Amino acid sequence: MKLLAKYNRLNILVTIIVLLLSAIFYYFFIKAVLIHQLDKNLLAEERELKDYVKEENQLPEPSNYKDEQEVYSHINDSQIIRKFSSIDVFNKEHDENISYRQLEFPVTVAGKMYRIDVRKSQEETEDLIQLILEITLAMVLILLITLFITNRFVLNKLWSPFNSTLNQIKKFNLSGTNDIYLQLTDINEFKELNGAVYTMTKRASHDYNEIKSFTENASHEIQTPLAIIKSKLELLSQGESLKEEQMNTIQSIYETTNRLSKLNQSLILLTKIDNRQFHENEEVNLSTIVHNHLNNYEELIAAKLITVTKNIENNVKVTMNETLADILISNLITNAIKHNIKNGSIDVTLNETSFSISNSGIELDADPAELFERFKKDKVNSDSLGLGLSIVKKICDTYGFMVSYNHNEKIHIVTIQFSPNF
Amino acid sequence: MKILIIEDEKELSESIAAYLKGEDYVCEIASNFNKAIEKTELYDYDCILLDITIPGGNGLDILKELKANKKMDGVIIISAKNSLDDKINGLTLGADDYLSKPFHLSELNARIAAIIRRKNFDGHSKIVFENLCIDTQSKVVTVENKELELTKKEYELLLYFVSNKKRLISKDAIAEHLWGNDMSGNFDFIYTHIKNLRKKLMDAGKADYIKSVYGMGYKFTAQ
Repeated sequence: MKLLAKYNRLNILVTIIVLLLSAIFYYFFIKAVLIHQLDKNLLAEERELKDYVKEENQLPEPSNYKDEQEVYSHINDSQIIRKFSSIDVFNKEHDENISYRQLEFPVTVAGKMYRIDVRKSQEETEDLIQLILEITLAMVLILLITLFITNRFVLNKLWSPFNSTLNQIKKFNLSGTNDIYLQLTDINEFKELNGAVYTMTKRASHDYNEIKSFTENASHEIQTPLAIIKSKLELLSQGESLKEEQMNTIQSIYETTNRLSKLNQSLILLTKIDNRQFHENEEVNLSTIVHNHLNNYEELIAAKLITVTKNIENNVKVTMNETLADILISNLITNAIKHNIKNGSIDVTLNETSFSISNSGIELDADPAELFERFKKDKVNSDSLGLGLSIVKKICDTYGFMVSYNHNEKIHIVTIQFSPNF
Repeated sequence: MKILIIEDEKELSESIAAYLKGEDYVCEIASNFNKAIEKTELYDYDCILLDITIPGGNGLDILKELKANKKMDGVIIISAKNSLDDKINGLTLGADDYLSKPFHLSELNARIAAIIRRKNFDGHSKIVFENLCIDTQSKVVTVENKELELTKKEYELLLYFVSNKKRLISKDAIAEHLWGNDMSGNFDFIYTHIKNLRKKLMDAGKADYIKSVYGMGYKFTAQ
């Protein structure tokens, strides 16, 4: 549940309860005040009537209006108690019950006991209370609507720095070049959040770059000692007096050194792709590149008696870095040749939407999905570094191409889809 | 033939010098920027091997200096950074070739030979070895004046052998020379290739110049 929704729900619930309780309290309070006012009027009437009786020694003419009535009735004993009450009286003229506030008290006129009921209509009072209630309810309604709108729009606006920061964090990519951009805000909490996010991403980027440049520098630094070892071995192997055993040892050191240097070069390449050092993109004619590489390895293909089936459309153009395009195609073609069998086959298909290369070979033991990971390789061919396909994957990822590997009995198929929407 | 090696790693420059001495080259070594500038100003070299990262300055500045003084020395950049930018910068500034570390000495040797051929004979260079003649301009090989039909890779292989004659060339160096980095480590191919070339040479001239040296590689020598 959204914080906003939760807060809104709680807020509205509390507001309704408080407003209803205060409306009820308000109703009774207003009613009590108004009745108190009526009672004071009735007391004044009583005083007037008693003064009149004292002076005139007789009862005045009883009034009988809709809003004010006086009723005298003869009684025998003085047991009547003076009291206020609310009563309903049927009014024949208006054919309705009208509620009155009544004060009954005993009066002695010329030795005779009378019970006097002085009534005042409560209708006006009730009208007033109703009006007040209506206004109050309308206010409650307006308040609720205002609260709702405020919460919906104003709070959304208030939270917008938070949402913007959240989006930036979601989009944040360590290997990306874009810095995090945080919306300016004058709310302290968000300021603090932005500050923390900014410091954190800066530190993460800094550490990441440090590690990246360390990897690159270390790899480069390794190249020179490797060059020295290689050249010394080459010189050493020129010796005329070397025995076969010594030569074999040199050969094995030499091959290992070569492997180490290839490994290092592949790692440098991966780091460079990661570091976006191949940023210059252009329209690359893949058809030409595929043809060129197939021609370059013509003899190798012939040596293994491999049949190549080409299904290459002309002038297939893809926007990417030319060097990377070259590495990508070369990697896949050499893979297809290296892992092929004698009298095997290679099928190359290139069109506007995809490139796929399939080759015959021995059955695979490794999990196909893992082959794109670094240093994952099928155990059969231990000469391969296990970096070829991860370079392919890295290049494809850089340009948003979809790369997949399938194998069908002894046929291995690598497919690259240039536009993942297809 | 005079070669200048501008390289700060003593061990590497000495190895290069030792390998090149076998080719009757006179090698000089400059281990920092100032020495390199001094030597290039005083003498002319047939070929300069230039490391980009040297103490005291940038190797590319030496190249600029050379070109500003209209020096005709051939230049091969040898760099630990296999970076495209360095390569493009170097070649635009007038370097003749670019080789990234670590490299095979035989590869370096073949490239130096190619540059010297280009510089000294304007490309009209015929390499003669025993009864074998390679015209590097027209890429025609003749054995006892009879033209030898070779595929492109066989020609490249023969030229590589002749440039490194009497030297042991490792299988890896051959694979890399012919097919680049991606194909190294696969030696079955080389075996077939060498076999074909050897057969063609023997059929034409009855001489077997290519010798296999244990498991390590091949040597191209007169019988």
